[in-house]
Amino acid sequence: MSSPRPRPRPQRLQSAVVPVGIAVVAVLVAGCSSSASSTVHLNWNYFFDSVFHPDSQIQNGLWLTVSIAITSQLIGVTLGTFAALAKMAKFRPFRIIANVYIWLFRGTPLVVQIVLFYFGLSVAHIYGWPTINFLGIKIDGAVQAGVFALGVNEGAYFAEIVRAGILAIDPGQMEAAKSLGMTYGQGMRRIVLPQAARVIVPPLGNEFNNMLKTTSLLVLISVPELYTVFNRKQGNYFAPFEFYLAAAVWFLLLTTIWSVIQAWIERRLAKGTAGSANAGPGLMDRLFGRSPTLGEEAPVISGGR
Amino acid sequence: MTLEKPGDLLGAIGGVPLPPNEVVVEAAGVEKWFGRLHVLKGVSMTVKRQEVVVVIGASGSGKTTFIRCVNHLEKIQGGRIFVNGHLIGYREVGGKLVEDREKNIAKQRQEIGMVFQRFNLFPHMTALQNITEAPLLVRKTPSAEAVEMGRALLARVGLSSKENVYPNQLSGGQQQRVAIARALAMKPALMLFDEPTSALDPEMIGEVLEVIKELAREGMTMIVVSHEMGFAREVADRVVMMDDGQIIEEGTPEHFFTNPTHERTKSFLSKIL
Repeated sequence: MSSPRPRPRPQRLQSAVVPVGIAVVAVLVAGCSSSASSTVHLNWNYFFDSVFHPDSQIQNGLWLTVSIAITSQLIGVTLGTFAALAKMAKFRPFRIIANVYIWLFRGTPLVVQIVLFYFGLSVAHIYGWPTINFLGIKIDGAVQAGVFALGVNEGAYFAEIVRAGILAIDPGQMEAAKSLGMTYGQGMRRIVLPQAARVIVPPLGNEFNNMLKTTSLLVLISVPELYTVFNRKQGNYFAPFEFYLAAAVWFLLLTTIWSVIQAWIERRLAKGTAGSANAGPGLMDRLFGRSPTLGEEAPVISGGR
Repeated sequence: MTLEKPGDLLGAIGGVPLPPNEVVVEAAGVEKWFGRLHVLKGVSMTVKRQEVVVVIGASGSGKTTFIRCVNHLEKIQGGRIFVNGHLIGYREVGGKLVEDREKNIAKQRQEIGMVFQRFNLFPHMTALQNITEAPLLVRKTPSAEAVEMGRALLARVGLSSKENVYPNQLSGGQQQRVAIARALAMKPALMLFDEPTSALDPEMIGEVLEVIKELAREGMTMIVVSHEMGFAREVADRVVMMDDGQIIEEGTPEHFFTNPTHERTKSFLSKIL
């Protein structure tokens, strides 16, 4: 009865979700029944097979989507961290390079970046994106170009998140580090960045959620990721509703799994910090977007997209 | 709070080997501007080994800025500061001051411990890790040795039981004692205290001052910015009064208690005593 940490997650949430769910189902059913009477016939087997018995194309698409998202995010985090540090550097050329990078990649559409890197560079004979062999896995040129474009684009956004995270740390921390004989680099690495990481993790989770879905833009350069597979299938069978709905379900599954992982990571990171009993919004709040209670919440920094 | 044995705070880091009467800090004509604001107007001060100097003055008088210049947390625009004979933060090139390389500045700071008004402990590290971090990272002290020294220092500031506790679980007074231990772990030749008790609740001031007094008795060279006149009377060899970026009066604590001469000093002391 009296657990040490009462969790104030009220019925209110469910009572809000249930009617919405019922409404969605009602709209779907109504849509089916009214249009079924006319010439359009929905083949629900396409949908159920895609969801419950995914063929090898879908499985490969899933694998590709997840691995592209992870790789691109890692590139983005690395580039973004360096860009943030460069943007705050004393040395002016570093600041200029970082600012130009962020300006270019936040100022142009991702779609344009993707096609420019893949088609543009290869047709102009600047870089042809040859297939490479990485640890025994063949990686197609389009996949490389896609990962490159997504990663570099993400880095430009992530730089601002990292910078905000670093700026959120009390300047007294770096002063204390310096007063102990640490250099700026040592203080950054051992004292400031580990603390900034806590501030950065929640927006990083949102960025990765976005990344999982944004991989679908690689349909433009025919990378056979999840969306591309369903896009082909719906054309082959002319069943856009069934297949696109199945694609939506798969993406929803991916982002939902990620939400669970993210909530777990945040709980772990919050250990040992001030008032850590309340470690950010719980999974239900996160999934259904209930606004967090004021107080213990980490500062929220948006990627500005 | 009890310190187990007198004379042991510095014993925990290997003692103070150097003889008294040697000049540790030599500041000459230090000038500092914050933009158009002239905050230090030719401050000069000499501190000998084992001397304790307490700096007093109203807020905005430049006392905190001055001690932050001593370990080059603030740049100076004129004058010279030497610690142990090394020009702090700058190289002289053709009679002009050029800021030194970061590595050299970091090396100079290893000799100068600093304790901040707001403690500035590292919140993601335990009390012991706070103390051992710099010796491990900067001095490359072997891990076992650093931990041993860290534990000895924690014991001397009366916090043995708190070695695995994070700063947010410590009281202000405890945090400041850990911060003092952290600074001592680098075996500094000089300690700077920037209003070490002014962010503390009244009942915690005593325990922190006790540690600083202990250090003074053991012969640590110190510059302390503080308004605790009782403390100054007990430990200071010299009290320095700053006003509007200048040192306006200097003398023994007794002098300040019995016959301060400067009008500003009189009115300042009448407000805090």
